[in-house]
Amino acid sequence: MNSRLTLWWSRLAAMTVKELLQLFRDGFLMFAIVFLFTADIYMTRNVRLELNHATVVVHDADHSAASRELIYRFRPPYFQLGGEIQDSREGQALLDQGQALAVLDIPPYFQRDLQSGRPTDVQVLVDTSNTVLGTLAASYSGQIIGRYGFEAALARMGASEASLDTVPMIQDQHRVWYNPNQNDAWFIPISELLTVITVMAIMLPAAAAVREKERGTIEQLLVSPLTPALILLPKVISMTLVILAGTAISLFLVLVPVFGVPIKGSLPLFFAVTTLYTVATSGLGLYIATLSRNLAQAAMLAIFILMPMVFLSGAWTPPEAMPAGLREAMYLSPLYYFIEMGYGILLKGAGLDVLWDSLLGLTLLGVGIFGFGVRRFRRQFG
Amino acid sequence: MGEAAPLTPAPAVRVQGFGKRYRRQAAVAGVDLEVRRGEIYGLIGPDGAGKSSLMKAVAGVLAFEEGSIEMFGIRIDSEAAAERVKGRLGFMPQGLGLNLYPELSVEENIDFFARLRGVPAAEIAARKAKLLAMTRLDRFTGRPMKHLSGGMKQKLGLVCTLIHEPELIVLDEPTTGVDPVSRRDFWAILAELLREKGITALISTAYMDEAERFHRLSLMHGGRVLASGEPDAIRARTPGSVLELEAEPQVEALDRIQASLAQAESVGPRLRVFVDDAAPEAAVGTVAGLLKGLSLRDLHATTPDLEDAFVALLRRQRLVEERAVAKPRAGDGDPPGDDVAILAKDLTRDFDGFRAVDRASFTVHQGDIFGLVGANGAGKTTLIKMLTGILPPSDGEGRVAGADMHFAAQAIKARIGYTSQAFSLYQDLSVLENLRLYARIYGVARHAAGERIEQVAELTGLTGRERQLAGRLPLGIRQRLALACAMVHRPRILFLDEPTSGVDPIGRRRFWDILVHLARVEQVAILITTHYMSEAEHCDRLALMHAGRIVADDPPAALKQALREEAGELLEVATDRPLAAMALLEQAGFAGVALFGRHIHLFARDAHTATREIQTILAGRGIGLASVTPRPPSLEDVFVYRITALEQGEQRL
Amino acid sequence: MNLARIAALAHKEWREIVRDRLFLALAFVVPAALMLVFGYGLSLDVEHIPFAVVDHDRSALSRDYTHRFIDSRYFDYRGHVKSERELDPLLADSRIRFAIVVPPKFEENLMAGRPAAVQSLIDGTFPFRASTSKGYVIAINAAFNGELLAAYISRRFGVAPERAAALAQPVRVQLRYLYNQELKSTWSIATALVMLVLMVAPPFLTALGVVREKESGSIYNIYASTVTRGEFLAGKLLPYVGISIVNSLILWALATGLFGVPFKGDPLFFFLSSVIYVTCTTGIGLLASLIVRTQVAAMMLTVVMTIIPSVLYSGLLVPIASMDPQGQFEAHLFPAMYFTDIALGSFLKGVGLEQLWGKALALAIYAAVLWLISFALFHKRPRT
Repeated sequence: MNSRLTLWWSRLAAMTVKELLQLFRDGFLMFAIVFLFTADIYMTRNVRLELNHATVVVHDADHSAASRELIYRFRPPYFQLGGEIQDSREGQALLDQGQALAVLDIPPYFQRDLQSGRPTDVQVLVDTSNTVLGTLAASYSGQIIGRYGFEAALARMGASEASLDTVPMIQDQHRVWYNPNQNDAWFIPISELLTVITVMAIMLPAAAAVREKERGTIEQLLVSPLTPALILLPKVISMTLVILAGTAISLFLVLVPVFGVPIKGSLPLFFAVTTLYTVATSGLGLYIATLSRNLAQAAMLAIFILMPMVFLSGAWTPPEAMPAGLREAMYLSPLYYFIEMGYGILLKGAGLDVLWDSLLGLTLLGVGIFGFGVRRFRRQFG
Repeated sequence: MGEAAPLTPAPAVRVQGFGKRYRRQAAVAGVDLEVRRGEIYGLIGPDGAGKSSLMKAVAGVLAFEEGSIEMFGIRIDSEAAAERVKGRLGFMPQGLGLNLYPELSVEENIDFFARLRGVPAAEIAARKAKLLAMTRLDRFTGRPMKHLSGGMKQKLGLVCTLIHEPELIVLDEPTTGVDPVSRRDFWAILAELLREKGITALISTAYMDEAERFHRLSLMHGGRVLASGEPDAIRARTPGSVLELEAEPQVEALDRIQASLAQAESVGPRLRVFVDDAAPEAAVGTVAGLLKGLSLRDLHATTPDLEDAFVALLRRQRLVEERAVAKPRAGDGDPPGDDVAILAKDLTRDFDGFRAVDRASFTVHQGDIFGLVGANGAGKTTLIKMLTGILPPSDGEGRVAGADMHFAAQAIKARIGYTSQAFSLYQDLSVLENLRLYARIYGVARHAAGERIEQVAELTGLTGRERQLAGRLPLGIRQRLALACAMVHRPRILFLDEPTSGVDPIGRRRFWDILVHLARVEQVAILITTHYMSEAEHCDRLALMHAGRIVADDPPAALKQALREEAGELLEVATDRPLAAMALLEQAGFAGVALFGRHIHLFARDAHTATREIQTILAGRGIGLASVTPRPPSLEDVFVYRITALEQGEQRL
Repeated sequence: MNLARIAALAHKEWREIVRDRLFLALAFVVPAALMLVFGYGLSLDVEHIPFAVVDHDRSALSRDYTHRFIDSRYFDYRGHVKSERELDPLLADSRIRFAIVVPPKFEENLMAGRPAAVQSLIDGTFPFRASTSKGYVIAINAAFNGELLAAYISRRFGVAPERAAALAQPVRVQLRYLYNQELKSTWSIATALVMLVLMVAPPFLTALGVVREKESGSIYNIYASTVTRGEFLAGKLLPYVGISIVNSLILWALATGLFGVPFKGDPLFFFLSSVIYVTCTTGIGLLASLIVRTQVAAMMLTVVMTIIPSVLYSGLLVPIASMDPQGQFEAHLFPAMYFTDIALGSFLKGVGLEQLWGKALALAIYAAVLWLISFALFHKRPRT
């Protein structure tokens, strides 16, 4: 019994080494892998999921100190002034061409009305063809103008900034946790890393298995005393090792030094979770491999599975916003649990005491997916 | 071929000082040759000799560094210059049907090539009809190319290459991997087409016997041309005699001969020896002297063929590697246990209503070399796949290595070695990495593995190449690597599916040296398929497969004897115009008329009557007859006769 | 350029695609399916944010205040907890993304004309969600403050409540949403999806084309024939461009028919731009195929060149306008961004050639450059 176990391990090791060697021999492939784990993530440093220097053009019919004061408040980082226009037609044209995101329209007698306590209407035209940008721009301009009006009201009553204590109002104290500066610089590269891990975990094992089919090398393995598991597992193990190495490189060479991502939780736990996730997801890759006869088919199937997984698991969009049916479907995506745990460990410092349920979810799902992939493979080649 | 080629002053191809390097490593250097218009020019040489590089460069699909190539007087020295001649050129790269489109039908493939080559729409139909009829592919126009047999693929490739009626065609090993009957067919069609249109051809081959079909040829080795000229002239450069004999015990006889004569090999029960610069009588004396004390039978001299000459030429120029094959050491192998290695009983396999193997039964003993021959698609590979456990049989029983294939597939797998038809090792791993991988897959103990790998590497002559990537090895050496991987765990049984396909003569000789050693010394049972009938002579038993059935199963000698009894005496006819003579003899109703090299073979009940008849027929057409000699039939004669008879029987049904 | 030869190549390629049934099916199914799944599922709205309340005051006013959150469709109330400490594990485990803490004496202070400090705790891991949540909090607070101030003014200066309300909010904001008055994110997303799907699927159709012929050896038919490099590349690309054009029409039909996105622009201009765009994206796959030696590498290189940029630099999730200059520069290197503008302009803004010719030209230049690079990389007489 013992010797059979030794033999099993020895075969597993030999096949794993083989897979790794093959991977390392393909220069372009290695380049693509290294690129995805480093340069690609590095490039996200310029990307913000925030309103940033959105161009506002102004139609100022008042040209007063008050109007200038209001206009002045549309400033970076959220907005930048794109100049003044003479009529609303010009504004429309700029919006049409996408040269401006919003038009601020200040009515005549703005200052006079303000001082005399008469209500005055300020109009903001927002391009909402992109709803994300449009909503943000509307929300921020509403805040700016509202704040301006509130201060003007207080000023009329004689309450200066110093004596706000004497006015009944809610003083909101925001505390943003885990990312106090609301730094996209943490969120995006982490999401990108999780996306890259997913892409690799599906495509690499699928490609490795289909390649054996296409080149006929599988035949030589099938007449050997290897069981299907011994053909499959090494692919999963080697690709997992590559992905773990890539993740480590990405974490220590890009995320921490370039983006200053804090690693608050346990690194061993993070890598353990990544391993579990990669193995679970590679089951999908193996399933793809059983369905396809050639790599072209495999590639199409891979994006078919990959894209919804990446976009609908909360890596790039808030999961709370998903429509009811899909929110439940999300629990079938291993990436959903990985995101929870990835952010939990890296940014929140969460441990197993908190994440055990996600871990359980991923484990169950992983066993299911991987078991399914292996079973399909067995049935095809057993 | 005796027909005189029309000579024209401007050659079709002129190569001068040609050289090609890949990453500083020279593949070809200093090659000169000239192909005259209307000529069939051959390139022969071992794998890695630079044939493919040269052919690609001539076809204008490979850039090169040294020398010059002119085609029809146009110098091919740039991509733009190459473009100027491509319209007059047809090129078929190496690999059986690899340049065709497997998903497309026969007709779609031809149409694509025709339209790609700008054949006028009005002419496509006529040309296609003619070529399809000649190649007898006209019944299969709708069949996807991937479902064609090897021979049909090759003919389709030829049709596609010729559809635009090029002036020059370059064919890189067109007959590799094709069975003997299809090969003959291919050559006959090619010769007729070329003659009809006056097309010039540059063709490479791994089959030495095909060399006789070239007007002139160049022998290449190690990136250089060893000799160029007409086949007879090349043969004449290595004077000597070939002797054949049977000796007991064979291993010792071979050892003794090889101690003083470099060119000797065992062919099945017989030994074949080349004695340099000796007249037949002197050679017989020399060999008899060497083998004093052993029992000798049937020692006689025959005429050397081109393969003998080639080997001798290489040897004399000291270009052939010294035989690195390990000498058998007593006690290397396990003692033979259960004597029966493979037992097949009524093995049958159906695929969707198509019976690929039909009730195949045979027995292979330990230490036997069992050959399986037949046309492409006869069911050989399917049979092997069942025996190795890849494919479950639909019906029948089999025992392999003492285990029942129905219940103990896993146990069988651990005890056998297998090389598949297509090279199925990892091309991106090195020789050593491949060997190590298979050693560990088969559970060779770690401490023993290093020694065993060294041993098989030495045995298969891979020593010194351990670090090279498998994909970069020449084909013949790759096949030896496949064999090395298959035997690294000392299997009791080896299954080898066309292991020598496309391997050059030298490589094949070495390969067979190893197999003979394994069988005779280590008592390994070997089941092998091949398209080289000269190789099949090595087998102890030979099973001939046709349409899924085993139609004959006997030792080679018995097969030949049976042929003699059935068809009569084999006569070899030497004439100055073999092709024309062949047509006439066929018309006259002789059985089994076929071209072997430059001679015609046919069968006759009574040699004397037949000889007179032949003389009359040929003299009537003014064809010079050199000789009519009775010959012992070769296995190729057996194969061609049997398969042709079976095919004709089917057509009549 | 010999059109007959291009046609022969394209025809052969097309027959091969047709024979590979699974591949053919996937070529049409994958784009449509992605459109359907994303169209229904991809939502960038920040809604239903799970939150909890700590109310140390437990007064009528604090209840009134917290109910403004509980009743909001943006927030999803998950209950009260006793102390801030209990919030920590809830936030860490993502059970809530946001919490509001009402201090003791909340009502007492406000009634007495003194300010009260309310804490909002926001999970910042997803900054876009955090800042949007913060925006909602600010808006709710502003409305509440306006009412408080109006009541205060009314009490203190003795003016009528309506007048007091006007005094408390002297500047009214009139927000007008252009192009998408109802702020339907489906409109934006479905439009952008046309871009995304046509960025991802076509390159994978072509990515293995040339490298597969190199691996099999059929590339020698091309090398050895009189077909020019340009003819080969054109013939190779044509069927895939054709498939992708059909797909672009299907996607257009899904966007307008199924998701109800209005199409206000010039159909012809949009169609022609789509043709240029899919020429770009299929060209990217072809380029990957020409660069590498193995199919696996071609596949991964295509991932590098398409999926990743289409996520980051297309304007789908991340507005280009909000990138810093270097990010914008990088975005301009990929064709997706230009087509996003063309798609949004054509569907929602109702603009055409006059406003968008620049973007269309950029795509055309992109296609031309891809073509030139492919042309330069492909040789009929290679060195190996």
